Amino acid sequence: MNLRAAFLLLAWCSGTSAAVGQSLPSEPVTFGGGRVVIGGDAAASIAPADTGFFNYSDYEHSTLRQIRFGVSGSVRANDRLSVLGEVRVDNLRDVTPFALYARVRPFPSRRLDIQIGRIPPTFGSFARHAYSNDNPLIGYPLAYQYLTSLRADSVPRNADELLFMRGRGWLSNFSVGNRAPDRGLPLVTAFSWDTGVQVTTGWRSLDVTGAVTNGSLSNPRVSDDNSGKQIIGRVTLTPVVGLVLGGSAARGQYAERSLIDALPASPDRRFIQRAFGADLEYSRDHWMVRADTVMSEWRIPAAGAPVIDRPLRAVAVSVEGRYAFLPGVYAAARGEHLAFNRIVGTARVAEWDAPVSRVEVGGGYYLQRNVVARMSVQFNHRDGGLVHNLVLPAVQILYWF
Amino acid sequence: MRVFIAILVGALGVASMTVAAGPPPAGSLRGRVDVRRNITPTERRPDVNDLRAAGGRELPDRRRAVVYLETAPGGAFEEREGQRARMDQRNETFIPHVLAITAGTVVDFPNNDGTYHNVFSLSKPKRFDLGRYARGRSKSVRFDRPGIIRVFCDIHSHMSAFILVFSHRYFATTDAEGRYRIDRIPSGTYSVVAWQDGANRDTRTVTIPESGSVELDFVVQ
Repeated sequence: MNLRAAFLLLAWCSGTSAAVGQSLPSEPVTFGGGRVVIGGDAAASIAPADTGFFNYSDYEHSTLRQIRFGVSGSVRANDRLSVLGEVRVDNLRDVTPFALYARVRPFPSRRLDIQIGRIPPTFGSFARHAYSNDNPLIGYPLAYQYLTSLRADSVPRNADELLFMRGRGWLSNFSVGNRAPDRGLPLVTAFSWDTGVQVTTGWRSLDVTGAVTNGSLSNPRVSDDNSGKQIIGRVTLTPVVGLVLGGSAARGQYAERSLIDALPASPDRRFIQRAFGADLEYSRDHWMVRADTVMSEWRIPAAGAPVIDRPLRAVAVSVEGRYAFLPGVYAAARGEHLAFNRIVGTARVAEWDAPVSRVEVGGGYYLQRNVVARMSVQFNHRDGGLVHNLVLPAVQILYWF
Repeated sequence: MRVFIAILVGALGVASMTVAAGPPPAGSLRGRVDVRRNITPTERRPDVNDLRAAGGRELPDRRRAVVYLETAPGGAFEEREGQRARMDQRNETFIPHVLAITAGTVVDFPNNDGTYHNVFSLSKPKRFDLGRYARGRSKSVRFDRPGIIRVFCDIHSHMSAFILVFSHRYFATTDAEGRYRIDRIPSGTYSVVAWQDGANRDTRTVTIPESGSVELDFVVQ
């Protein structure tokens, strides 16, 4: 993380905006009579070192300490076909082709869209809120960011080995498969998109989406290396303007081929992740409230004693609110908890990973319509790991067009 | 901002004038604003994270211009009336895209769409945030200070509009063909500005006769 560069970007954005008012470009760049549209965003976040790794999205990468640039584009061939893509650069070094897919609308006057390629997440609502000013705080919800100790390329030999890794998802290691320490899996990752086919249709206030992808919620993939497709569905209902109710479900194989091949030949080599989600958003006047819950379940093949004889479950619950109390000034808060089911080890019965609670409060001030300065304080608590409690203040400057 | 400064200058000039008894002789100013720059409609940001394509929307008429006297005649600043104006939110577009009003006017912002809108402005002459409200509802804002106010929707980033607030009544918005007309201008020599879509201006000087009208065309590059 280049803190100096983040600070310089932050200072430049805030200084420039304050000096010129609404003069930084706020509209996307268009070519070809509107057929090609390019948008972008830049964000710089500064926070103290996250010694408890509560906000790590992968190794050596905290979501509270990063510089991120994103460029998205759409090319509309005609009323039926568009190609969309996005490239992100994190901390001035990691370039990620985040999205690249074709959107087909076979009947332009009907609500039927088919998306093929590296597609946006079907599951949950957070993928639609993760951008620019849609996320009212600097941190990400636990369900979409926090790393459990579970891995896609290695598994614990028994329950004791899994319990030993409680609260160490940022760098866990097990004895079966890849033994090198590496990051664990989140319930649903917000930081990479899956590859597959997605179909969305709707009728009145109801929208239905189904998708088949190569990876899983925890471990999206460009290519399918485990011969296990994921099936995802999502339904949203808007009974009245301002209220959106959503439900999601997914089932797919999350393990990588190298792990499957490392296991002894047996009929039981399935690593299935199943997940269910429910979400709600209600907004009115200057208020907006969201609630989101995700239940994920990973199935691990039985190995040595003491055997992990049940699926490993995790449930994340999150409630957040935002209130604009002056033009361009808002306050926001999010409270959340991540819980795990208990397994039986040799010496103890405990949750297979350490439960985590987090409260984040903060606010934002719009320097201009598309430049916002944010500040937040995060209170983290975990029943395990090296650090149990950690308070993290953070500031962020964000610009988009 | 330039409008605001111009009107302030005008106000200072008028303050030192002697107001004549009875209505002064007045003429009209009319003409056409020729917008020669290439104007593309504001597109939505690429909706990469959406599960389906966004619906169609009405495109704003960004070729409309506002012609106004940069220095106003004597007594112009005392002609204040409580007026109302309207800026619709329809098909994810503010209609009209440019609204010119006198200070003290109350503008209504009705929502005619099936989705929420959240009208707001962070412009110095008037900061406001109307919050989210649904179809059939309307909220209003009174504009007391002259200047340029940029209006946005907090939910739909492609929605934007301008409100130009004047301290006097000597202004006009062009029609679809670019024509304008300002009546009852007291005779004298004035600096006239054609303003279009933010930063584009053309300034001319004109002498208004005691009666009749003067033709004055503008070109905005």
